[in-house]
Amino acid sequence: MNVPEFVEKIRKNEINIVEHTEKIIEECRKINKEYNYFNTISDGLALKQAHEIKKLIKNKDKSIQNKRLLGVAVSAKDSICVKGVESTAGSRILKGYRPLFNATVIEKVISEGGIIIGKTSQDEFGFGSFSVFSWFGTPKNPFDKERSCGGSSGGPAGIAKKANFPHISLGESTGGSIAAPASFCDVFGLTPTYGRNSRYGLIDYGNSLDKVGAIGKSCYDAALLQEAIAGHDPNDSTSLNAPADDYTEIMEKPVKGMKIGIIKEAFGKGNDKSVEKYVNEGIDRLKEEGAEFEEISLDLPIKYGLATYYMIATSEASTNLAKYCGMRYGAVEKLEGSFNEYFTKVRSANLGDEAKRRIIMGTFARMSGFRDAYYIKAMKVRTLIINEYKKAFRKFDALVSPSVPILPPKFSEIEKLTPLQNYMMDIMLVSPNIAGLPHLSVPVGYEKNLPVGMLLTGDHLQEGKLLQLGSVFER
Amino acid sequence: MKKFTSDIVIGLEIHTELNTNTKLFCGCPTKGSEEPNTRTCVTCLGMPGSKPVLNKKAVEFALKLCMALNCEISPELVFSRKSYFYPDMAKNYQISQYEIPLGKKGKLRLGSGKEIGITRVHMEEDPASLVHPAGMKESAYVLVDYNRSGNPLVEIVTEPDLASPDEARDFMKQLIIVLSYIEIFDVNEGIIKADANISVKESGYTRVEIKNITGFKEIELALMHEVNRQQNEIKNNKQIHQETRAWDSEKGVTFSIRKKETEEDYGYIIDTDLVIIDITEKWLNEIKKHMPELAQDKVRKFVEKYRIKRDDAEIIASDRQLAEMFEKVAEKVDPNLAAKWLRRELVRVLNYNKKEISESGINERHMIDLLGLIEKKKITDAVGQQIIEKLIEKPFDVNEYVKKEKLEAVSDFSELEKYCKEAIAENPKAVEDYKKGEAKALNFIVGSVMKKTKGKATPKEVNDIILRLIK
Repeated sequence: MNVPEFVEKIRKNEINIVEHTEKIIEECRKINKEYNYFNTISDGLALKQAHEIKKLIKNKDKSIQNKRLLGVAVSAKDSICVKGVESTAGSRILKGYRPLFNATVIEKVISEGGIIIGKTSQDEFGFGSFSVFSWFGTPKNPFDKERSCGGSSGGPAGIAKKANFPHISLGESTGGSIAAPASFCDVFGLTPTYGRNSRYGLIDYGNSLDKVGAIGKSCYDAALLQEAIAGHDPNDSTSLNAPADDYTEIMEKPVKGMKIGIIKEAFGKGNDKSVEKYVNEGIDRLKEEGAEFEEISLDLPIKYGLATYYMIATSEASTNLAKYCGMRYGAVEKLEGSFNEYFTKVRSANLGDEAKRRIIMGTFARMSGFRDAYYIKAMKVRTLIINEYKKAFRKFDALVSPSVPILPPKFSEIEKLTPLQNYMMDIMLVSPNIAGLPHLSVPVGYEKNLPVGMLLTGDHLQEGKLLQLGSVFER
Repeated sequence: MKKFTSDIVIGLEIHTELNTNTKLFCGCPTKGSEEPNTRTCVTCLGMPGSKPVLNKKAVEFALKLCMALNCEISPELVFSRKSYFYPDMAKNYQISQYEIPLGKKGKLRLGSGKEIGITRVHMEEDPASLVHPAGMKESAYVLVDYNRSGNPLVEIVTEPDLASPDEARDFMKQLIIVLSYIEIFDVNEGIIKADANISVKESGYTRVEIKNITGFKEIELALMHEVNRQQNEIKNNKQIHQETRAWDSEKGVTFSIRKKETEEDYGYIIDTDLVIIDITEKWLNEIKKHMPELAQDKVRKFVEKYRIKRDDAEIIASDRQLAEMFEKVAEKVDPNLAAKWLRRELVRVLNYNKKEISESGINERHMIDLLGLIEKKKITDAVGQQIIEKLIEKPFDVNEYVKKEKLEAVSDFSELEKYCKEAIAENPKAVEDYKKGEAKALNFIVGSVMKKTKGKATPKEVNDIILRLIK
């Protein structure tokens, strides 16, 4: 049963929402034992919501006709605050932290009738490409438990695939953290334009880069959740003052005549051959539907994207993580010594290696004496990268590349990667993220039962066009 | 680097609170409950996921200050994160401004006319306050009160143009007058703090910073002490080190808190939780419309147009309400008479009652009526003083009051002469003493007449009559 059919049945009172919710909570527990997709299953909140919906249906409340997610299970990446539900962003330093407020996207999901079933696993604060840098267990690939879900939204993508009930995931991307796991888990992952969805209540990684987005089993699911959470939020100064589009309608439009640029530098060297093969098949599918393709060179974003990204993201992250010091919330240690000694003790014991690495890197990049050469230079290159994309979108409706250059790797392989090799996984993904451009990872095929994703990148606020193209691959 | 010539070189960094209703980046009130941690929210507590939203009113207040200090105003408002770990910091970074301050290259004139350069004016948020329950040094623990966290502040940095502690005090005084004129600072309750950089010629201008001096009178004391200390050290063949010191106002001394090897590194980055805001001409013009004429312009006008003494003009202009009242009164009565009465009598009575003009109910109408009567000698100075004292309690129509209470000056000569004759008859000893050459004895007789007339006679006139009568 797909999401719209399910919502219709709930409205008609053909499914008992409370029993259904109890059943899926049980199912999540079962999946979680094997796959580690949840840091917290919010059964209390989910059942409370289910009872409220049941009451609305019993009272034939008019509002149920407008609630687009009525009764649909929605999971949220752990970095998205849910009031009263432990929200750690995958870090031990936030162990036990229960936010006093809901993120705006959570408020919107709840007001649309969506049921919050839990907080999904991720790399600590979003620092990673394989979800292996987590304090609370690594999520395992739904196709092969020896392999990674990708990261950092590994839990959100894994459960989006594995859930055998109507469900959509809220993920978050800073430098590719939606598209990469979507590609590895065979689901649709939509990273919106920066500022399209509110960041209020999102535990920060890089403030100028973070975006909440939808991950769905179908293109429709991703479009539906995006439709529900988009729009201006006065609590987030960077939220765009643009009305939400009707994505589920727009995606139905034909793709005939759309112009798509094939990013030259994203093909050939460095890619797994099978990845390229299926992405080319995807391109052929779109050609059959009447989309027109042409090659385009995006030298600058591919060459400098990664360096620019790591300078800006870690600079911002190193300031964002400063607040975690064992004073107001989260982990504490024995109180002794000066405040400096105490903060150091708390942070040493409760932040992971990758978090420490990025704090050190980011602090270095913004220190006086280095700041101009790294942080300021990166900010300038960022503008150049945006300009190069903007030039391309004068001609094209979308750009295409593989989402990730490889198939989901085994954990044993990941262990051997150096930090730099780790960062290289996001080579295709960091530049659209730096430029705040919307991008959609679309499942295009399987190599030896392992999924391959194709990346479609659009101009600012053109999520609709990406979903139009994505719907060609609808299941 | 500037080449210093004066014996003492001082630069100030002044932090002042803006008296907005709400905090700089959230809707929490800046005033109200004093119960610790009650005026807080997720944003000013720095909770994960919270985001700042800018208070535009605070920006307008800061822009007014930039205008009043003749600053070049940045076309864009950009906030940065100033990173350092400290228990009073909700996020362990402070939202402040760095590369692009709101205002730069301004100036403020001292009372002496000397111009002091303003390097920059920028906005930032206040940290929380630390409470040491058993005193700074003795407390085993520290409590944090976030009520203040996120309050709007401006920092004003001067050029090292101040050449004495006295000039530093005057700078602070002039600045406070400006702040109160443009109504962005609560003179009675607002906090103004300064860090001072000070060096003396004898040391080759080695810079010492004194942190956190509260109030403008303390500034002069702290700097005087520090100048003496530095000069004595040199006399005793000791060296002045580049360092940061603190001011202990109770003991009246500065003490070293840290030696400065290098500048602190705050690792500034742009705060991308906030968007860059255009400061448009339109916005600035809107603010300009509401800018009052400032104290120093008023002084000039009072001296040139109304021809009053500079000293009177400065005192009257230092209080915006008084200055505005003066302008209205001086249009109707002799400006010098108005200056004298506003500066002396009105201020005296207001201070005695601890009231501002706006709280007293006295307006320009009262002063025009009152001074009109004095100018035409309809009432005496003594009666005028009494009326002001009464007006403070409860305002009334001055002309009617004078009529009703029969307070007109005794101008009937024969009546006055009658009182004088009585007084001479009643005080034969005083008359005798005066004739013996004791000039003071005359005052006694005059006083007696004044008493009989209930102050309604002019002492000078009475004096003349008595002299004539006892000759």
